[in-house]
Amino acid sequence: MAEQLDIADVERWVLAFADAVEEEAGYLTDLDRRSGDGDFGSNMAAALRRSREAVAAAGSTAAGDPFQVLGETFLGHSGGTSGPLFGMWFREFGKAGAGAEAFTLEMLAGATANGWATVARLGSARVGDRTMVDAIAPASEALAEAVEGGLSLSEGLRSAAEAARVGADGTSGLLGRRGRTSYVGEAALGSPDPGAVAVALFYGAAREVAGA
Amino acid sequence: MRRQFVNDPGDVVAEALEGFAAAWPGHVRLNADPAYVVRARPASGKVAVVSGGGSGHEPLHVGFVGTGMLDAAVPGAVFTSPTAVQIRAASRAVDTGRGVLHVVKNYTGDVLNFRIAGELLADEGVESGIVLVDDDLATDTDDGPGRRGTAAAVVVEKVCGAAAERGADLAELTALGRRVAAGSRTLSVALAAGAHPGQSRPSFELPGDEVEFGVGIHGERARQRRAFGPSREIVPQMVSPLAEALGLGRGSRVLAVVNGLGATSDLELYGVFREARRVLKDAGVDVVRSLVGTYVTSLDMAGCSLTLVRADDEVLELWDAPVATPALTW
Repeated sequence: MAEQLDIADVERWVLAFADAVEEEAGYLTDLDRRSGDGDFGSNMAAALRRSREAVAAAGSTAAGDPFQVLGETFLGHSGGTSGPLFGMWFREFGKAGAGAEAFTLEMLAGATANGWATVARLGSARVGDRTMVDAIAPASEALAEAVEGGLSLSEGLRSAAEAARVGADGTSGLLGRRGRTSYVGEAALGSPDPGAVAVALFYGAAREVAGA
Repeated sequence: MRRQFVNDPGDVVAEALEGFAAAWPGHVRLNADPAYVVRARPASGKVAVVSGGGSGHEPLHVGFVGTGMLDAAVPGAVFTSPTAVQIRAASRAVDTGRGVLHVVKNYTGDVLNFRIAGELLADEGVESGIVLVDDDLATDTDDGPGRRGTAAAVVVEKVCGAAAERGADLAELTALGRRVAAGSRTLSVALAAGAHPGQSRPSFELPGDEVEFGVGIHGERARQRRAFGPSREIVPQMVSPLAEALGLGRGSRVLAVVNGLGATSDLELYGVFREARRVLKDAGVDVVRSLVGTYVTSLDMAGCSLTLVRADDEVLELWDAPVATPALTW
């Protein structure tokens, strides 16, 4: 398997992520109904539909460009809270791949770590707060370990995708302290946070593209 | 059953903005996408003052774009923050190189999108600062997102707008805005909830013998319901906690804003102001300036808010400075 993700791979990653969210839109919206205001899945799907067109029209010349487009689309799509946070998250991947021909595992680990820091700072969310951070943090740790251990890109992404999935599933047992979910408290217990699930889908899509 | 003048509910904000800009060609220009409103005659060589927030609070904020107040306003969808991309575009459009002051009402979405816009602007070399307006005494609790921002936004925008016109720099404006916001408290009382565009039912029902006390400006219920009664009984219940929160006493000077929430007549609002002034006078508090009218609304909610702002010579001088906007002119 390739040790890098070039521009075409990144575009496939974005499309695979959009496909996954669209497939799960109903499920994500249902999750959001239990913990928020019930528009997460449809909002994400709508932003990604726009992103598909924008990415196709952009004519990327660097590996970070599709993520840059994704970030801008999310930051301009809706004025809620989860959309803009995803926008800033994608933007870190755009920055990491700015001017580069391809992403290495190390670059993805760096983008994930920076994305974690950005989302945590802007959303004032820590691990255990039942937010997207609960999927980002384990993915970030898995990627750092993969780089440390000299794993291949596909092995690293497999590990990150599994860690993000476990992290997202684990939000089922967490009480929300940030965002709208903090208003409903225990009523959301038993179902995972939709933002964390979307992050798991993001790494799942990367794993798929890397052939892991 | 509530009836409204609406075409497609999804077009309400865009259509209103188009009408607003067409009605005030000497004052404002509209950029349709991303949506923001700027002055018809852009200022030069001053810090730009920009505000924004969800629509449904008109005339806030677009009505305050003009000489002596805002350089740009960024409207979101109804009761929804504008996007960071909108805020960035509006800020870029009015930046003269001296930086941009963002006046932001304290709601999670608004704060997040303005903070993100500030970071995007910083990446492009545009300096910005944030003044959070958090005057709603009804949400003064130790946990949660803090007090909501309501009608004090008008005072902060007016005072900072005047100071910017006089050449204050970004740091001075940020400090000034924060000082005014810190010295402002508001309480709102609803007699009837408003209805979202296209919806025939109000967002909550109130029995005829009760008022919603400490209501917000987004159609949400308040924590308390109290007995309805004549103005002379309701207004003192608003004044006393505000005066206490601001530590007002004999000899204190305040600026008072009596604001209609969308469907309350000026006739009633002036009566409310009369009561508020009387109660404050009895406590030895001097109402040195006032603003009475409909400025910060919650769609077509019936009710009013009372805002008291601690007034010193600097604030008063800036308040008195000339202003020429669609919603506020002197």
